[in-house]
Amino acid sequence: MPLMTRRLVRPELVIDINRIAGLDAIEILPTYVRMGALVRQEQALRSSIVRECIAGLAEALAWVANPVVRQRGTVAGNLVTNSPGAELPAVAMALGAEFVLRYPDAEETVSAAAVLGAGNTVPPNAVVTHVLWPRRAGPAGFYEVARRDGHAPVVSAMVTLNDGDCRVAVSGVCATGLSCPTMARVIAREFPRPPRTSDLASALQDDLTGPVYCDIYSSARYRLEVAPVVSQRAAGIMTLWAPAA
Amino acid sequence: MIEESLNVSMTVDGAQLHARVRPRYLLSDFLRERAGAGGVHVACGHGVCGACTVAVDGTAVRACLMLAVQADGTHVQTVASLGELEGDVPAGRDGLTRLQTAFREHHALQCGYCTPGLLVSTALFLSQRKAAARSATSCASPGRASPGRACAGRAEILDHLNGHLCRCTGYANIIAAIESVLT
Repeated sequence: MPLMTRRLVRPELVIDINRIAGLDAIEILPTYVRMGALVRQEQALRSSIVRECIAGLAEALAWVANPVVRQRGTVAGNLVTNSPGAELPAVAMALGAEFVLRYPDAEETVSAAAVLGAGNTVPPNAVVTHVLWPRRAGPAGFYEVARRDGHAPVVSAMVTLNDGDCRVAVSGVCATGLSCPTMARVIAREFPRPPRTSDLASALQDDLTGPVYCDIYSSARYRLEVAPVVSQRAAGIMTLWAPAA
Repeated sequence: MIEESLNVSMTVDGAQLHARVRPRYLLSDFLRERAGAGGVHVACGHGVCGACTVAVDGTAVRACLMLAVQADGTHVQTVASLGELEGDVPAGRDGLTRLQTAFREHHALQCGYCTPGLLVSTALFLSQRKAAARSATSCASPGRASPGRACAGRAEILDHLNGHLCRCTGYANIIAAIESVLT
């Protein structure tokens, strides 16, 4: 809706999914938590299933916008919009989330990175019906820098650690979410000590897959400077990991 | 582009309304132009400022980010229903609600443009908080501790106010007004 009111998109057809029964369910499966496309961000944030089974997601969701916007905004909507100022693409990539895509005559499950990474998008003849989040208990850390608290961040970073396997993803550095395996190696090597921002900055150069994003508020140079700091702080939060009560 | 009109019906501040509207017509425009709800203030028009916040079936919604056709069959409450939104709180001096009285006493408004949206969403915030207290869960967002957010009540208010822009007061008086009704 904000994209339409600002005339940034002019869709020929808009389908309101708000009244599709059952699409707002959060269900526990053996290895995943399955979230319907209508699950609101605030609903997920307050869900005991999310807090108990997807360590790190509720903590990251608390950074998204404000309660009124979170009550309307959906988790899947934030993801597929995949704007540089959206937090959840980085969160989904670092948590290893997957999307269920429904085509007119088929259904497939693809990794978040395959939809959210550079040059990727939801195919024009498909819709996202569910997001699958792997169940996990390990530590995680999320941090962001925004021009105004609660507004779209300049850069946000999500860091997770599962049995020594560290994953890092950032939003706001490229036009889409960016997986950062080299930064992850630096963080895993130093953990629980804080990684040096200079090491993260050079690692980030290796992780870049396309041009660095910029807008009228934040230059590409600033984003490259702030991303290692944001990632370092996310790693620091992971060091102090304690799941939300 | 499909542009034929659709039928909508909803209650706005207790009055039942039926209308034919184009699908692209925003709820904020519908409420102001068709329902005569002048208390719905439109400022930014894309969900940032919170001035047009109304309650749709008891949930705070930016009226500028919802289409009128999406509100079909719902119960919409604007600032004109504030007493109802605040629950059984008796009207204070001059027929003002408890929240309005607090805003006046703390000088929590100057030009007043942002005030209707603030009052509606604060009334909903207070009732959610009350419900959360009954079920003994915190209303504050978990895992987002930051300096200056030591007191739980204050952290909740700041999180809540994040969704509202006020260009007059500097927020200090709005925070004080809301704090005064929390206690």
